Amino acid sequence: MSAKKEFNVKWGMAIDLDKCTGCGACMVACQAENNLAPQADASNKLRVMNWLVVFELSNKKAFPDHEVAYLPRPCQQCAEQPCATVCPVIATERNEEGGIVSQIYPRCIGCRYCMAACPYHARYFNWFDPIWPKGMEKALTPDVSVRPRGVVEKCSFCHHRFMYAKDKVRAEGGNVYVTGPDGKKHCAVPEDGYVTSCAEACPNGAIVFGDLNNPRHTVHRLVTGNDNAFRLLERLGTDTAVYYISSREWVRRLGDNYLDEEETQKPKQILPEKH
Amino acid sequence: MVLDRRGFMKFIAGAGTGILATPVVWKFTDDAAIWTQNWSWIPRNEGGENTYVHAVSKMDPSGTPMRVRLVNKRPVRVLPSPEHPLGGGISSLAVAEVQMMHSPGRVKRPLVKGPDGGFSEIDWPGAAELLQGKLEEAKDRVAFISGDENGSTNEILSALAKALGSEDVFLMPSEGQCAAKACELMGIEAQLGYDFENSDYVLAIGANLLESWGTVVRNRRLLKEGQAAPFRNEEKGVKEKTPVITFAYAGPVQNNTAAVARPWLPIYPGAEGILALGIANMLMARGKVANAGDFGAFRTLASRYTPEETARLTGVDPKKLEQVVTALLSAKAPVVVVGSEFNQGSGAAPLLAGFAVNALLDNINKVGGVALLPPAVVAMKGASSRAELYKKDLCSWFAGKNTPAVLVMHEANPVYALPDPAAVAEAIKAVPFKVSFSTFMDESAALCDLVLPIGMGLERIDDLESPYGCGKTIYCISGMASIPQENIRSTANTLLYIARQMGQDLGFELFEDLLKAKALYHEKCSFDVLVAGQAAESDALVELDGYSLRPDIMAKALTVKTATDTLRLAPFAKLNLGTAKTGIPPYNNKTLRAKELDGALMTVMVNGATASQKGLSDGDRVTLDNGKRQIPAKLRVFEGVMNDTVAVCLGFGHTALDEFSQNKGANVMELLTAAPEPETGLNAWSQAGVAVSKS
Repeated sequence: MSAKKEFNVKWGMAIDLDKCTGCGACMVACQAENNLAPQADASNKLRVMNWLVVFELSNKKAFPDHEVAYLPRPCQQCAEQPCATVCPVIATERNEEGGIVSQIYPRCIGCRYCMAACPYHARYFNWFDPIWPKGMEKALTPDVSVRPRGVVEKCSFCHHRFMYAKDKVRAEGGNVYVTGPDGKKHCAVPEDGYVTSCAEACPNGAIVFGDLNNPRHTVHRLVTGNDNAFRLLERLGTDTAVYYISSREWVRRLGDNYLDEEETQKPKQILPEKH
Repeated sequence: MVLDRRGFMKFIAGAGTGILATPVVWKFTDDAAIWTQNWSWIPRNEGGENTYVHAVSKMDPSGTPMRVRLVNKRPVRVLPSPEHPLGGGISSLAVAEVQMMHSPGRVKRPLVKGPDGGFSEIDWPGAAELLQGKLEEAKDRVAFISGDENGSTNEILSALAKALGSEDVFLMPSEGQCAAKACELMGIEAQLGYDFENSDYVLAIGANLLESWGTVVRNRRLLKEGQAAPFRNEEKGVKEKTPVITFAYAGPVQNNTAAVARPWLPIYPGAEGILALGIANMLMARGKVANAGDFGAFRTLASRYTPEETARLTGVDPKKLEQVVTALLSAKAPVVVVGSEFNQGSGAAPLLAGFAVNALLDNINKVGGVALLPPAVVAMKGASSRAELYKKDLCSWFAGKNTPAVLVMHEANPVYALPDPAAVAEAIKAVPFKVSFSTFMDESAALCDLVLPIGMGLERIDDLESPYGCGKTIYCISGMASIPQENIRSTANTLLYIARQMGQDLGFELFEDLLKAKALYHEKCSFDVLVAGQAAESDALVELDGYSLRPDIMAKALTVKTATDTLRLAPFAKLNLGTAKTGIPPYNNKTLRAKELDGALMTVMVNGATASQKGLSDGDRVTLDNGKRQIPAKLRVFEGVMNDTVAVCLGFGHTALDEFSQNKGANVMELLTAAPEPETGLNAWSQAGVAVSKS
């Protein structure tokens, strides 16, 4: 893996799985915001383009002890990216303040090494030309260019919204990065000034977005010292920016590949002190 | 000059250095990368000025408030409107509303059916003249069906019907109708509301509260605000925030609501009313009483439903039931909501039982309890109120073999949405002239002689008054967010025009005038303020002065059918699959999980024990047979389904609309048959049995 880059600002999410009902509003909002073309037959999931998928989890117990949970899975925005390491054309990298892993479509040659490398299956190959039903292209947003077939796509944490938020700060005469009371540099974009489309849409407030490094942000408070917080495949060391929260032990256990005889590790044992 | 070896090497080195130094090569490579991805068929981004307007979804039954982003006056996104009393986030249906404006399933121009059965274009004046002529011929033999229960267009439909001498104006069946019938039977002239904002414990029995029941987005906002996860407060040290609201759910399927409910009480489908009576009995055993005239008779009835008997009839776990009753008693402001997993067909009796539980909890018109809202305002002379429209049961009308000369449907798709759709289709085909005012070419519109395109909510001015479930009176007007994308007109204005041509004065020339008149009833908000997105709110309640719990009706109507060789059918609704009016929105197709749809085959779910008992296994191709009709499906073993029950999702099996809705599963309504509910005058279809066998 490449050398890990640390940033003052680390955009991230806390997704409360005890609140997610699996309605799919986040998935639809993501498609509409990022100009993903609809597909008449979306039943073959190997050929469907999604940046965010809501997975159904089960505690595998028989009725009536069965429990279900839903897990929205965007790109995990790893600090140690398995995808960027294998990209032969540097189409994906993490080198901007904020820690968002980029995906530069004109550079992508569609080799799909990154898809094979991503342990979260968060990357999707664009198998089809992006065709909208006649007239529906009028509803495309101007913020995200439409990608051709043959490239790999992924969630960008609605990076264009970050750019707009920074522009707004600059237009108002401010500096984008300022030193906070803790002596560290923080982004001057207010907490509600940059929110991803999925977090904005979620009617349950299950997805909370913000700067994981900023103690004033809700997302920081939600995950810091929270015994119910965990990250997916934590022990791989990818250092992701998406935290999940659940009070249910069986849900947290599904966050990693535990052996049968292994106990679910406490977040304190595996989560980093700093984000 | 001779090129020797040294000269050649110099040339190569120089050329190499030059290539590395010049930007031309890199620029060319960069351009090549860009231009090889820049094809004519790939849409370009079109920028422009950003503006935002407020609207209310007329497509989403919950009336989701929306903030619509326009770029160069072109709507591109539906965003949440959290400040609105019905707002919060955005529903999975409303969030795709902008894209649905361009859906291939839309009716783009007025269409008239020719003798060969095909549609041809007709202009609006011609269409209006045709409809006017048919209405004049039909006189009182005209019927109207509306699929929008919260809008003022119904006033125009009912006033016009009355002017023509007809009383046949119907709303599509809904939870609101069941609740209205329950109120009518109890002698309460009000709309049932629920003050979730101030509740600390909500028990939903059947009502799919967090997915499809009532004011969904508002219900879910309370989950957001009331169930904060534990977090560390930097200033005050580690502190766990106590949840201020708890949701419990009883139903046959571990659906979206059950996923976050604590606890989920599995019960048989259609057993909601019995469970409520069982809870009432347990509450009375702990000293709770209700101030109703027939409380003694109710006590006698409910005492039959001991915990053991309730468990036997409903399948509920007595221990979990005891926990829930204890929680209800210890809560400061508990409320119980009885409804249907698929928002229809439960009848009124379960709502009566639910009201009785709330009366025992002494929460009627109390903070955090049941709110008795004043009936919706009627501004048009001769129009029927919503309560009057609710009194008429559409299924009974169809069952009575009534054949009007003209049938007018407004945003209604009974051929898909009512039980036994084939019989409904036959009944509609028998009508000599049928008209559909519809945004989409749905199953009902496809059968009509005249199809008149109306706008999406974003393309028209319309209103929404107190959708069922809200805890206070709310009135909103949704302005036109977008220029119409198709050759559309509104149902209201078309009918007002036709009425004028027929010499009928309904009191208003335009629909907007009617909405302005309605706005006058709301003191704090003018028409302009309402159009700008603000909602008029009122906390006024109807005083509860003498009512009956009607145990006589409950005794006859609340029964649980026991399964024999069939499985109990548990339909359930998911908003991401759209409604009968919309079909599956194009952008929502991808939200269907692989476990829900396999190619064109939908999945139905049973638990492992039931599958073993029936000799079925996961992945089997099966047929569901109700004795009259069969539907094919793929079996999924899902342990979140009640014993002896098969769970089937609504929203599949469209035969009209577009490629995003067609060829996806089967319509579960095929397996349901409406049957009169004793004493209430409604029909119910929440208890059906089906045989499930391998195909």
